[in-house]
Amino acid sequence: MSVLKVFKKNMMLSVVVLLYAALFVFRTDMAILSLKNSSYYIIEMLQIIPVVFILTSLIEAWVPKKVIMNNLGEKSGIKGPIISLFLGSVSAGPIYAAFPICKMLLKKGASIANIVVILSAWAVIKIPMLANEAKFLGPKFMAVRWILTTVSIFIMAYVISTIVKKEDIQDAAANNKDEDAVSIKRQYCTGCGICVKLLPNLFQLKDGRAAVKRQPLDSKEADVAKVVWEKCPTKAITMN
Amino acid sequence: MDIFTRGLWIITGIGFTVSIIKDKEKTFRSMKMAKGMMKNMMGQIIGILFLIGLILTFIPPEIIKQYLGGANVLSSSILSAVIGSITLIPAFVAFPLVGSLVDLGASIVPGVAFLTTLTMVGFVTFPLEKQEFGFKFAAIRNSLSFVFAIVIAMVMGVFI
Repeated sequence: MSVLKVFKKNMMLSVVVLLYAALFVFRTDMAILSLKNSSYYIIEMLQIIPVVFILTSLIEAWVPKKVIMNNLGEKSGIKGPIISLFLGSVSAGPIYAAFPICKMLLKKGASIANIVVILSAWAVIKIPMLANEAKFLGPKFMAVRWILTTVSIFIMAYVISTIVKKEDIQDAAANNKDEDAVSIKRQYCTGCGICVKLLPNLFQLKDGRAAVKRQPLDSKEADVAKVVWEKCPTKAITMN
Repeated sequence: MDIFTRGLWIITGIGFTVSIIKDKEKTFRSMKMAKGMMKNMMGQIIGILFLIGLILTFIPPEIIKQYLGGANVLSSSILSAVIGSITLIPAFVAFPLVGSLVDLGASIVPGVAFLTTLTMVGFVTFPLEKQEFGFKFAAIRNSLSFVFAIVIAMVMGVFI
């Protein structure tokens, strides 16, 4: 990898390192002071970072999300928002990682209100993160913010569900529909390779992400592809 | 080590042990995932932590108190919420960042606004959201989240 590429990939770090380098040349005392000021936060974060990632991954591996998702149909009633809040809170990754999963849940009959709860909780509430928030900003801060955020999420879900109807979302989906039966949204693919392993005829890995090799030829092959679609962990595969 | 870090280590330790006993293969796979996530985000995290040092050195507490202090909370909160909407940094480095500013005398209100929009409102991811759920949904969800971020921040200011 060229120097420029490394720089671009670690934009934030590179800029900060350059600032420090310049500072060391012109004002060594201030550079040392800055390092000292950072050291408290670096030491504290190094203690908590590994554990946050490990816990996030363990939750991801063991919480039976499929079971939860199957309980999110139209008849989920009062339980729906609670299940949605839980589902969002235990999931790893930034908010856009939730888009394809929510899309699939909508197709399976989840309500708009529940989708809003999942998306919002996915974004703001992360169980390992709550400990980190309490550590740097205090347990009271964390608890009050959690309560206020949860209440806001439910209000938002109600408001949005009265304004936006399912037709609005389906219309939008129809506009960017692909001609192909099977396609992959590469921005969501993490390159886990499950689809390639299960159906090497249809899928292949390209630059670390999955790509469609060829479309299913008959309905039998399409049925198999459907199974793979279900298995895709980030729901990056779309089927028409 | 403070109580929250220790608690998290203990809970994770128990979880990890149970996980290993129940399914070794699955545990290793999830550890690989943890490693991958960490590798992806480490550069940004370290960068921001060193940035905190620079901020603490170069921005005098008086300036922070003047702009982010108690005096003009509403305008500074709206500005912080806008910054949070367009920034893309991992949420959990935002906590030490906000914590360091609060220690210097900033009000928590703009900090909360920033923390909330940082994760809930996505300017950069808006096109993706529009593509998946339509313009109406994405526009209403993002603007409502923005408004609620300010409301949450204001209420927090009363409680804490």
